[in-house]
Amino acid sequence: MLIKIQLFIGTLSIILLFITFELIRKKKLREEYSLLWLFTGAVILIFSIWPEYFLSRFFSQITGIFYLSAVVLLAFLFLLLIVFHFSVVISKLTDRNKELAQRHALLELEFREFRNSHPHSQNPSNQNG
Amino acid sequence: MGKVVEEVKQYLPRADALVVNDGSSDHTSEKAEASGAIVLNLPFNLGIGGAMQAGYLYAHEKGYDIAIQVDGDGQHNPKEIPKLLQTLVEREVDMVIGSRFIGDSKFKSSMMRRVGISIFSRVISLIVGQKITDPTSGFRAASHRTIRLFAFDYPQDYPEPEVLVLLHQCGLKVAEVPIGMSKRYAGESSITKLRSIYYMVKVLLAIFVDCFKKHSF
Repeated sequence: MLIKIQLFIGTLSIILLFITFELIRKKKLREEYSLLWLFTGAVILIFSIWPEYFLSRFFSQITGIFYLSAVVLLAFLFLLLIVFHFSVVISKLTDRNKELAQRHALLELEFREFRNSHPHSQNPSNQNG
Repeated sequence: MGKVVEEVKQYLPRADALVVNDGSSDHTSEKAEASGAIVLNLPFNLGIGGAMQAGYLYAHEKGYDIAIQVDGDGQHNPKEIPKLLQTLVEREVDMVIGSRFIGDSKFKSSMMRRVGISIFSRVISLIVGQKITDPTSGFRAASHRTIRLFAFDYPQDYPEPEVLVLLHQCGLKVAEVPIGMSKRYAGESSITKLRSIYYMVKVLLAIFVDCFKKHSF
């Protein structure tokens, strides 16, 4: 039973690591966001290779939970961490997005006023001026 | 919208009127422009906080000494603006709020809303240590210092009550003056009856979090 779970989780973590690595290589995922994923994959891989040492002895002894539950708990904690990280990132992006929109509106207003006050500005593509 | 701008111009002929269009694509902004206002068009919807801050950002960068904030739906009577201005200058405060609940103003609204506002009023008054009768009023005058603060730091979710906590934390003074309300020309209140309790909890939570925010002013 244990070996099946080991194989399943091991394969899963290798796939996860591979995908993360590929995405970084293709520049579709920024390193700062991928670090947590790489770490998660690596930790799950280690746990699946040496379950006895890491979980049956060490982890189970201090927490008193068994292998599968331990893996589920760990995976859950990592996901929680990742989701939290994303919330922070999204908040930052939203803030910057807002500032950009405000700046855009102010510049657009400035530009309109400038164009209205300089009706003969030399701009060949300018149809309205 | 155009009517509001015209009335503002009528009572304050030397003032510049800025209309912030929060990503709306109807013809409101053109009408406002036709009535003599400067229109700031946001590229997409930022919500009340982001739009309001854009206005203060404009005031800050153009170096205005005083900014008046008036709702675009016509619920605030521009006739009252000089009263706000006078209080701002004479009492040397940093923000004046036009309150619907002081003195003889006969403001009628739903039970739910009155209860909600009175709860906000108590909570805010407790936090800032000063009686604030109408923390949700969007009819306000801001001093030069307040404009500068708002350009950099403005609450995004429920700006009207949250601003009061922000001002208190930054040591800026607030005063209230009684105003009369006119019926809205257009538009619904953003708060419907059923959602008002949910709204109230969210605002109180936001105010609570505001108490622990860090400000660099």
